Amino acid sequence: MVISPLRRKVLRDLRRLWAQVLAIALVLAAGVATLILGNGAYSSLYETRARYYDDYRFADVFADVTRAPRALLGDIREIDNVLAAEARIVKLALLDMPAMAAPGTMLLVSLPEDGDRGLNLLHLRQGRLPDPQSAREVVVSEGFAAAHRLRPGAPLTVLMNGQRREMLVAGIALSPEFIYALGPGEMMPDPRRFGIAWLPRPALEAAFDLEGAFSNVVLKLVPGASMDRTIEALDRLTAPYGGAGAVARKDQISHAFLDAELKQLSAMVKVLPPIFLLVAAMLVNITLSRLITLEREQIGLLKAIGYSSRAIAQHYVEFVAAIAMLGIVIGMAAGVWLGVGLAQLYARFFSFPFLIFTHDPQIYGLAAAVTVAAAVAGALLAVRVAVALPPAVAMSPPAPADYRARMGAFRRLFALRQTGVMVTRHLFRWPLRTASGTFGVAMAVAILVASLWSFGSINHMIDVTFTRAERHDALVAFGAPEPARALFAARQMPGVLAAEPFRAVAARISHRALSRKLSIMGKPETPILSRVLAPDLRPIAMPAAGLILSEALAKALAVRPGDRVTVEFLEGARRTVTLPVSGLSLGYVGLGVAMELTALNRAMGEGALISGVALQIDETRQDAFYAAAKTTPKTGFVAVTALTVARFKETLAENITVMITVYVGLAAIIAVGVVYNFSRIALSEQGRELASLRVLGFTRGEVSGILLGELATVVLAAQPVGWLFGYVIAFGMVEAFSSDLYRVPFVIGPEVYVTASLIVCVAALASAWAIRGRINNLDMVEVLKTRE
Amino acid sequence: MSETIFRTKGLTKVYRSGAQEVHALRGVDFQAAQGEFIVILGPSGSGKSTFLNIVGGLDTATAGEAWFEDHQLTALDERGLTQYRRDHVGFVFQFYNLVPSLTARENVALVTEIARRPMSPDDALALVGLTDRRDHFPAQLSGGEQQRVAIARAIAKNPEVLLCDEPTGALDSATGIKVLEALTQVNRTIGATTLVITHNAAIREIADRVLRFADGRIVEETVNATKKSPAEVSW
Repeated sequence: MVISPLRRKVLRDLRRLWAQVLAIALVLAAGVATLILGNGAYSSLYETRARYYDDYRFADVFADVTRAPRALLGDIREIDNVLAAEARIVKLALLDMPAMAAPGTMLLVSLPEDGDRGLNLLHLRQGRLPDPQSAREVVVSEGFAAAHRLRPGAPLTVLMNGQRREMLVAGIALSPEFIYALGPGEMMPDPRRFGIAWLPRPALEAAFDLEGAFSNVVLKLVPGASMDRTIEALDRLTAPYGGAGAVARKDQISHAFLDAELKQLSAMVKVLPPIFLLVAAMLVNITLSRLITLEREQIGLLKAIGYSSRAIAQHYVEFVAAIAMLGIVIGMAAGVWLGVGLAQLYARFFSFPFLIFTHDPQIYGLAAAVTVAAAVAGALLAVRVAVALPPAVAMSPPAPADYRARMGAFRRLFALRQTGVMVTRHLFRWPLRTASGTFGVAMAVAILVASLWSFGSINHMIDVTFTRAERHDALVAFGAPEPARALFAARQMPGVLAAEPFRAVAARISHRALSRKLSIMGKPETPILSRVLAPDLRPIAMPAAGLILSEALAKALAVRPGDRVTVEFLEGARRTVTLPVSGLSLGYVGLGVAMELTALNRAMGEGALISGVALQIDETRQDAFYAAAKTTPKTGFVAVTALTVARFKETLAENITVMITVYVGLAAIIAVGVVYNFSRIALSEQGRELASLRVLGFTRGEVSGILLGELATVVLAAQPVGWLFGYVIAFGMVEAFSSDLYRVPFVIGPEVYVTASLIVCVAALASAWAIRGRINNLDMVEVLKTRE
Repeated sequence: MSETIFRTKGLTKVYRSGAQEVHALRGVDFQAAQGEFIVILGPSGSGKSTFLNIVGGLDTATAGEAWFEDHQLTALDERGLTQYRRDHVGFVFQFYNLVPSLTARENVALVTEIARRPMSPDDALALVGLTDRRDHFPAQLSGGEQQRVAIARAIAKNPEVLLCDEPTGALDSATGIKVLEALTQVNRTIGATTLVITHNAAIREIADRVLRFADGRIVEETVNATKKSPAEVSW
């Protein structure tokens, strides 16, 4: 095969400029990798979930009732569009693990009874399903089994309704219902302290006194059926049996958390790849412009001997396309590699029986296409100059760069020496390139600001939630509402220093056409252990009659203090009342609404009932308290603040290293790519001047200082711009990530800006260091003899 | 003749490219007195530029010695050579090598800022007759004017030595003469020993002494009993 001379030149240029080529290719690769990773992870998670749901018949609607007769199931199946309905018993029990003093919760779920035609089918990982007649055999969730090293045949003790039950692990399984298994009162999944156990219905019927009855129903609907109408019909049927209102799949906890993750991924895909592609396009532009300037005589020669402008344009586009191809190859490899890493990370948080990592050729095709497009777009301006050069002009050297700028004031202001004037004039001589370099470095800073801020914000959120609002050490929720005197019993428990009652009532709050189903928290007039905070973080006293809505809820319902909302209680006498909104509160997790405890009971038309107690515990008697809390029949579950926070921080710490490594890597790629190319071009343009200065007696340090001064100016000017971009991106992320599940406070401390700038400056220094050798080896003899 | 400022003994330079050895200088013995104006002639590859580079502190010798006053140049390291160029040597290049982003005056100031006993940039420009062009950028000056700025830049530090490599090589005859006038003028005024490399044999007549290089050696040395002024020569 004969390689044409121009193509040979492409190959030689690539080899000669390998470092610059690699620096640009890496920026492109980062764009490709984030695009593939983001899109790949998104579709991987989405497809896996969809397949899992399909294969294991994940339900569409979920509803809890207090106790409904099984006969009701027939009526439920009659609801329009209901394809399948399954009545279950779902109850909380307390764990009694010998190796774990801290309280843990087990969610007991009756096994699907219709075999493969049931809903929320189990994926058995080990062992077998329990014998339907057995009262002891259970299947436990895989995460829980792994955390406690349980295998089929292992014994397991749980406290159901205050009674100790010795169970036997028959099998270990996964369920589409608990991909993200969040325990009650927790902020992060903790498989040690929360597990799911499936057991045959009869065993549960007996334990919870539910013979011939059910406590939970799940529905599968005809595809495309109206969710609202079905839920309405179901709520009508379950209302007499303590139905607390059905939820659609989108509000099911596990599903909603996966949705939140998907939302984050799609936000990442929208932000990161465009940044990299933009910066890469800009790098291609400045690098190719310089190359074409250097090669103008060659271009003129080629034209003079008969090469067409088209052939010359093609030559430079080929050069750029080769860089793009290199970027695509590296990016795809990195994308796949990171994708596997992300899949492993997902496997830790989400329990899937399988993970489909899609290798959708469309994603790869798209990544390749946009990358080539970005590189070629960057090349076009520069190539146009090459095409426009008339042969005769191209063959004579360019006129000396024309500087006319006056800068008297500027110079006096900074008391610049001549070398400083050189730096400043050179930067202003090519404003577009200076702006591009500044923009590129700014984007590196922005990526860091936009990723690092979240850790500070999360810490702020933890601090506000657990040191200012929820100041209790433990929270005991009763299995069912208890008379107020249960508070006194709680105070008598070992280790309890203080106790504060609360009432939690399921309700639907509506304002005009907007409504939300949630729990209204009843609290004492001046709560001490579980406080409600105003947006300015001051604790709020509970008003005599009205509601305190979290800001997010007020926004969701479009209400302001002073408005009245309709409250439909979904428990007890199921009254519907209208109540005023008395104030707004701060809240990061879920949608919150609080009112004074007695006012709540009054509004419900009930006596003095409480749902649980918030407690302050003597640390030294903690274990005694745990033991007592477990064996109290009234206990539904116990949440321990220190354990919740520790788990949260532990999870965060696990992720923080990975996240910071990835984002620092991405930012460094941009910073190095921009600074290296910028300095190579500056050196190429001024190499002759700098060598002349060396001849005139300037030291290596002084000459390096001129070039480094130019880089430093660009890098420093980029910092505030980067902070601003980072702030804007972070703000957009807060908006994008906010959901009914959680909202992250927007807090960016000075340390975020400082860290981002430090990292970028280090990367810039490293790449400047890389060209120091070239400055030191400037050929002084050469400049005496040659013209540019 | 006044005191000797330069001397070299057996100055040798061998370039190695691969297995091949190129002898650029083959033992050059040379002396120059303070204030002397020396023209160095010779064909390409004769070693004259290599010689100038070594005595100018830009290159190192393979063997032999080169002395400037009491400094042994051949014993200095990179740092020492830089200091030598900075304190004692003024260079004039064939292609001027001005910094395009600095005005004429600023180009001169570039050097006076780091010199130990500089003259004022304005005085240096006055010496080469460019006072009225001092605020122009190189792109706004003619070739001859640029070279005169380069001379002003070279002499502004009050150097003991002025080294010029083909200072008129890129200029037409009329402009070249102006540049030579500037050179002889500063040679007289500041008393710097001046070494001028040229291909142009006509220039020899303005020198105190003329050296001819060939094949890495000085093959001919002529002392002009009477120097001509630049205006009297032509090419």
